[in-house]
Amino acid sequence: MSRLSRCIGALKRTLLSPSRGPRTLSIAESIAAASEAPGALSIAGSSVASRVAPRLVSGLVLSSMLVSAKVAAHDVAGSLDAIGSDTMAELMLRWGEQFEEQRPGVRLQLQVAGSASAPPALIAGTTLLGPMSRPMQEDESAAFIERHGYAPTPVVVGKDALVVVVNRHNPLSRLSRAELDAIFSDTLACGASESIERWQQLGLERPGGTIHLYGRNAVSGTHGLFRRRALCDGEFKVSVMVSAGSAAVVAAVGDDPAGIGYAGLNHLNADVKAVAIGNAEDGILPRRQSLRSGGYPLSRDLLIYVNRPPEGELPDVERAFLDMVLSPSGQRVVKELGFVALPPSVLAAQRHALGLAELPRDGP
Amino acid sequence: MLLAVVAIAVFLLVEVLPLFWPDGASFPLEALWSSPDVSGEPEYRWLPHRLDDAAVPQASLAPLLWGTLEAAAWALVVAIPLALGAAAHSSLYMSPGLRARLKPTLELMEAMPSVVLGFIAGLALGPWVERHLAQSLSIVVVLPAAVVLLALGYRWLPDRLKAALTLRWAALWLIPCLLLLVWLAMSVAPMWEGWWFDGDLRLWVEESWGLDVQARNALIVGLAMGFAVIPGIYALAEDALSDVPRELAEGAQAMGATRWQTLTRVMLPVALPGVFSAIMIGAGRAVGETMIVLMASGNSALMTASPLDGLRSLASSIAIELPEAAPGGSHYRLLLLAALALFAFTFLVNTLAEVVRARLKRRFTRRKGDA
Repeated sequence: MSRLSRCIGALKRTLLSPSRGPRTLSIAESIAAASEAPGALSIAGSSVASRVAPRLVSGLVLSSMLVSAKVAAHDVAGSLDAIGSDTMAELMLRWGEQFEEQRPGVRLQLQVAGSASAPPALIAGTTLLGPMSRPMQEDESAAFIERHGYAPTPVVVGKDALVVVVNRHNPLSRLSRAELDAIFSDTLACGASESIERWQQLGLERPGGTIHLYGRNAVSGTHGLFRRRALCDGEFKVSVMVSAGSAAVVAAVGDDPAGIGYAGLNHLNADVKAVAIGNAEDGILPRRQSLRSGGYPLSRDLLIYVNRPPEGELPDVERAFLDMVLSPSGQRVVKELGFVALPPSVLAAQRHALGLAELPRDGP
Repeated sequence: MLLAVVAIAVFLLVEVLPLFWPDGASFPLEALWSSPDVSGEPEYRWLPHRLDDAAVPQASLAPLLWGTLEAAAWALVVAIPLALGAAAHSSLYMSPGLRARLKPTLELMEAMPSVVLGFIAGLALGPWVERHLAQSLSIVVVLPAAVVLLALGYRWLPDRLKAALTLRWAALWLIPCLLLLVWLAMSVAPMWEGWWFDGDLRLWVEESWGLDVQARNALIVGLAMGFAVIPGIYALAEDALSDVPRELAEGAQAMGATRWQTLTRVMLPVALPGVFSAIMIGAGRAVGETMIVLMASGNSALMTASPLDGLRSLASSIAIELPEAAPGGSHYRLLLLAALALFAFTFLVNTLAEVVRARLKRRFTRRKGDA
């Protein structure tokens, strides 16, 4: 470190000669500030550098100006961090692009390791936006309260649903919840009397034979949600084929006439068919209406958790971002990506809770 | 290198050991093998993510071990006849010019990224086989049978034809023959499927034998992984056969033995340890292979003997679950235990193969010294 400080001292002496104006002062300071950065350290740390430092000045000035430019962008326009759900990755990216158009110079930095990665980042303060495809669990919010003294603020930004899909040639159109459980689990926690192994047990001639089950790996949020809601907290059959993502599940079912699987609503395509869930008279398809009203049993809220003190306000950039997300244009992105946009009443309530200005009446 | 290997082993051991200390694990250690189900019967289920909140913790490694060995076994069933046949043919019959071309081709085959093989097997081959079961079965039955018949019939070919189709160039003129056979097998398939199986073999197999054909199954994995291990086995087996001192083969032929007799009676017995070590190394690769199994097997942790069901291997479990298991948790340590098991297995197999090979080499050099 002594070599480093000597080097910076030499640089400062060179740069602070009276012939240069106050402009160089800021450059020198930014070198000092940037000396923590690994790039600057490696130059300054070598003994050769301290001897030839004056000659290197021009090069260093260039690099230090780059660093200070970055620092300046950070301070003035602000960068936006978000850490969390991979289900919402594309959604966040599109919002980020839209936001960049509104506020040039602001960059959204997104890490999508899964919903479970949002709470630790919010607690540690490394991010102010935590997109999650499930509500925080008790222990997660307890840890947040312990650190900050108040609860994290959930903002509902859209709705998603899990869809049960079969091959497009499959005549099946509806499953009761007990049947769904009897197909996917062998614990029968939803009240079915026997496990369903074959399509004939559902009264279908085609596709015939054994039902092929497709699903997600055990640590994914989709798997967890389906297990809790559709299997009544039971356990999946061992024979469920594990695919590497929702898109892979849909692709496999699209290829397999005897297949059935579950995936996020936004992954639906023409090769597969969504199955209505419920009893004969009230079988509910995952349509916009049933999702908005909450009638579809396998729906979930998409959330962004924020760290907002009870009497304080969100920082300007985060506030503007959420303002855009909860605006008609932000909700259009939700719709375009295959999720379900919020109904106007919920949207208004969310905006009110965050202290955002009311939307004009003529709305979306 | 050795240091790195030791460091990896030590790391795995240190991470896994807490599981085996008293009160180190949050679940009974018997759960690593089996756990009682509702009626008290032992049950083999791999549910490591629910170790902490389930009433009965179930984290049986048995289905994973089974899946690993099953996949490797099918891969060897596919690879051994093809690789050894190719090695024998190229070291004894093939023209040197062709052999010089063949080796780089096989090396190319070895360089094929396993994720590409897995992708093709899981997303193209598997579903195709499931939909065209009759055609696939037809190919599997007709092709080997026809090859054996061809080989037997070759002897009675007229001499003029034999001169044109020499064994030295067999690799070239056999390719169109085989393609023709494949086409033939595929075109007759719908006929016999219609005559004997009411036009749908898949349903027939399921109803009469109770065998369910999954798109991603052990056979598909075996096929893709067999493809991946063939080059390795071929190269080592070919080396072993070429290392057999020439005097032995020449002596046998001078005594009037045919090339086939030379191969089966003289060269194979001498090279057997080398061939064995080639197979062992192939097995080691098949056991540790991740991406092919991950993409082509369906990853359902079943313990069934049916080659048409899916399976799940140790390596693919680690690949799927490790990124999302909390470091230091029981699930994490369990996965590292699986990794340790894999490491120990491949280490043993490869060491054994190397020892056998080294001993063989020594024997040959000694024999040469004597002569």
